[in-house]
Amino acid sequence: MRLPAAPEGVRRRVRAAGSELGPLARFRERIAAGDLLRLRPRFRGRGLLAFLAVMGPGLIAGIAGNEAGGLTTYSVLGAETGFRLLWLFPLTTVVLMIVQEMAARLGVVTGQGLSDLIRDWFGVRWTAFAMLVLFVANLGQTIAEFAGIAAALEIFGLPRLLTVPLTAVALWALVLFASYRTVERVFLSVILVFVTYIVSAFVSGPDWGEVGRALVTPSFELAPATLLLMVALVGTTITPYMQFYLQSAVAEKGIDEEELRLEQADAVGGAIWTNVVALFVVVATAQTLHAAGVRITDAADAAQALGPVAGELSTALFAIGLFGASVLAAMILPISTSFVICEAFGWESGVGKPFREAPAFFGIYTVTLFAGAVIVLLPFLPPLIDVLLFTQNLQGLLLPIVLVFMFRLVNNERLLGRHVNGPIRNALTLAAIVLVVALDAILLGVGALEAIGLRLG
Amino acid sequence: MLYLSQVIGRPVRDGQGESIGKVADLIVALGDRYPPVTGLVVMTDRRRIFLPWSDVASFDASGATLATSIIDIGKFAQRPNELLLFLDLQDKQIVDLDGRKVVRVNDLVLDEIEGKLHLVAVDVGPAGLLRRLGVEGPVRTLARNLGRSVPERFIDWEDVDPLESSIASIRLRVPHRGLRELHPADLAGIIDELAPRDRAGILATLDDEIAADAIEEMEPDTQVEVMEDLAPERAADILEEMSPDDAADLIADLSDTARDRILPLMEREEAEEVQELLGYPEDSAGGIMTTEYIGIPATLKASETIDRLRELEPDAETIYYVYVVDEAGKLVGVLSLRDLIVAPADAVVRDFMLGEPVALGVLADQEEVARVVARYNLLAVPVVDDEGRLVGIVTVDDALDTVLPTAWKRRLPRVFSRGGG
Repeated sequence: MRLPAAPEGVRRRVRAAGSELGPLARFRERIAAGDLLRLRPRFRGRGLLAFLAVMGPGLIAGIAGNEAGGLTTYSVLGAETGFRLLWLFPLTTVVLMIVQEMAARLGVVTGQGLSDLIRDWFGVRWTAFAMLVLFVANLGQTIAEFAGIAAALEIFGLPRLLTVPLTAVALWALVLFASYRTVERVFLSVILVFVTYIVSAFVSGPDWGEVGRALVTPSFELAPATLLLMVALVGTTITPYMQFYLQSAVAEKGIDEEELRLEQADAVGGAIWTNVVALFVVVATAQTLHAAGVRITDAADAAQALGPVAGELSTALFAIGLFGASVLAAMILPISTSFVICEAFGWESGVGKPFREAPAFFGIYTVTLFAGAVIVLLPFLPPLIDVLLFTQNLQGLLLPIVLVFMFRLVNNERLLGRHVNGPIRNALTLAAIVLVVALDAILLGVGALEAIGLRLG
Repeated sequence: MLYLSQVIGRPVRDGQGESIGKVADLIVALGDRYPPVTGLVVMTDRRRIFLPWSDVASFDASGATLATSIIDIGKFAQRPNELLLFLDLQDKQIVDLDGRKVVRVNDLVLDEIEGKLHLVAVDVGPAGLLRRLGVEGPVRTLARNLGRSVPERFIDWEDVDPLESSIASIRLRVPHRGLRELHPADLAGIIDELAPRDRAGILATLDDEIAADAIEEMEPDTQVEVMEDLAPERAADILEEMSPDDAADLIADLSDTARDRILPLMEREEAEEVQELLGYPEDSAGGIMTTEYIGIPATLKASETIDRLRELEPDAETIYYVYVVDEAGKLVGVLSLRDLIVAPADAVVRDFMLGEPVALGVLADQEEVARVVARYNLLAVPVVDDEGRLVGIVTVDDALDTVLPTAWKRRLPRVFSRGGG
């Protein structure tokens, strides 16, 4: 005969509502709450989370940063300017390293997300401003993802009036009922395409000496088209949204301060990886499209850069990659925008909650997603490539605001203690901010002069 | 009644009416139901100075007037049980014990009680947010014209639990007394929403049993994070308090290093039970069963059985059935709690038990378990080994978990949930 050990004392299951419910009643509650799909046990300890746990948030941010906007910007940059702007890559790499390191450090030391910290330390008005900036940036990014979805599926001859609404509705539902498996597959398909670019860059046989020289030889022109590409490059490489994501992911993982160095290495490594991949995309497109004098006017043109590897399959491969990257980002962007904003204002959030408990959360999510989709369908819209580039310029223009908030936070001694920025780090960070602001100012200045009919250079 | 946002930045005048600076912060002393204001922080041209509340002659939305014109900077310092309202509470996250969730402070409400200013409530509603944005008046007017009102929400200070991570001014040990009274599922929900530092702060103040109950209610991912952040000794103590099936599931999810550190520190009896459960496949009856059940010999009387139950104080999930086993441990019958209560006190169990009860083998598939539970309308189903010996039971919640998993949907966005981009 076997008897269970008697627990010491009466367990406290008192006071709160539901405590008197039997197990069956509790299950009825769960059914009412909508927990109906059967997934949990099979996914425990496996799938995306385990995968992500190994990779580190910095690297994920790096990979996920290369979405529709990135792919387009790098392709157009390579096709239009060849190797001429390659010198920007060492700079964007360093700036991204600095920015991601700040985000990682803030996440590790405070254990809080960026919007939390902004609310904690800057009060309601600055938070409202920062959240407005983030909302606009993320809405722009969501538009870019839907433009990517439309462009990718138009390669297969599917009209966007059909594909965009369908994808939007599917994504809306998917995020609320998604399985990890789906996200994981999409994620892997994206990596596959970028690897193809690396191979393509090698197969196309560029003069690597020339690439090396281009990396260290600055050339500058005040032509608005070039400036737009430069700002788009900065904006797509260092998206405001990614910094929010990275810091939250780091905070969420609960990394100890002792492991700060590891996490910093991860953030810096992620920054390098993004830029190396981007560099290969530019080299591959420069070698194939720029050399042949092709201007990218739609996604099918951009696909030719994969020609050296994939041949006739390159269009399909590009379309799949672009679609995957766009869908992945479109899954994550609206929902995380909603989480970030609700967190800052202390509004109820969580996809498992009923709508009436978290109206702001579901409202922001739905508005961001569908506004992004609707804008892509507007009848007077410029070509999708231009829309994509514009949204990336928007990221570049809004980036300094986010960087200034981060800069103030990493200099807050009460917050970071001994991990506060020293003079050297501050000089580097300031230089990075000044660089981005200067580039933005030149673009806006030249744009303004152009608007009143003056032309420089 | 006064809002903190109305007084911050207001002028501070000395006894002669000379302006000496602006109100930067207020200091309150914790401990009482409503913390009294004990000091004023003034921002002068060059620095922040602390003044005791006894120096303040009047204080309202127009500013502060001091009783004296001589300011002794050195005589006041912040004590360990004191909080700075603006720095430590305004805009920070707190636990709303009444609504049982984590919310953000939009404003703080001060009021006079017996002639002294106290912190009485926290404003967490939209009205407070609008006030901070400086548009409360216009929006209220607009709302009134539309025949609506601006929603307000206040939490009595008594129902507020501040969090460690926000207390920037001093290392205050927050006692988290109120949290201990919450239902474990609510407590788990709150801990789930918090940053790791706050989780640790709260778990440190809970006793092992309450911590175990709360951890049982958490998502598997959070369970692992929380456990791996704890000191191994404490983690082992908490695991001992958990029901063996939940403990086994959690241990199976831990990293190898954490498992190797924690398992040896558990009491032998509990560790053995867990080890035994870990030996079964995760999706079998053995993998989801608990080894906590009530087994009695068939010769006991009804009254003796009830006495035995009182003595054992079984958990809610395990009390509904009493299993009858022979000397070899073989399952021979079952009694429901109802059978037991309606039976005459001196009836012998053998005479009113239900013989040949429904039972499952340890390797039965979990879907089979769910089917049996649903089909026979059981609250728990016994699990027997090859020789028919009772080795555990699967309670209805664990059985149905296969068909109705716990809040799995929250897991995808969790990666991005804490302010995550």
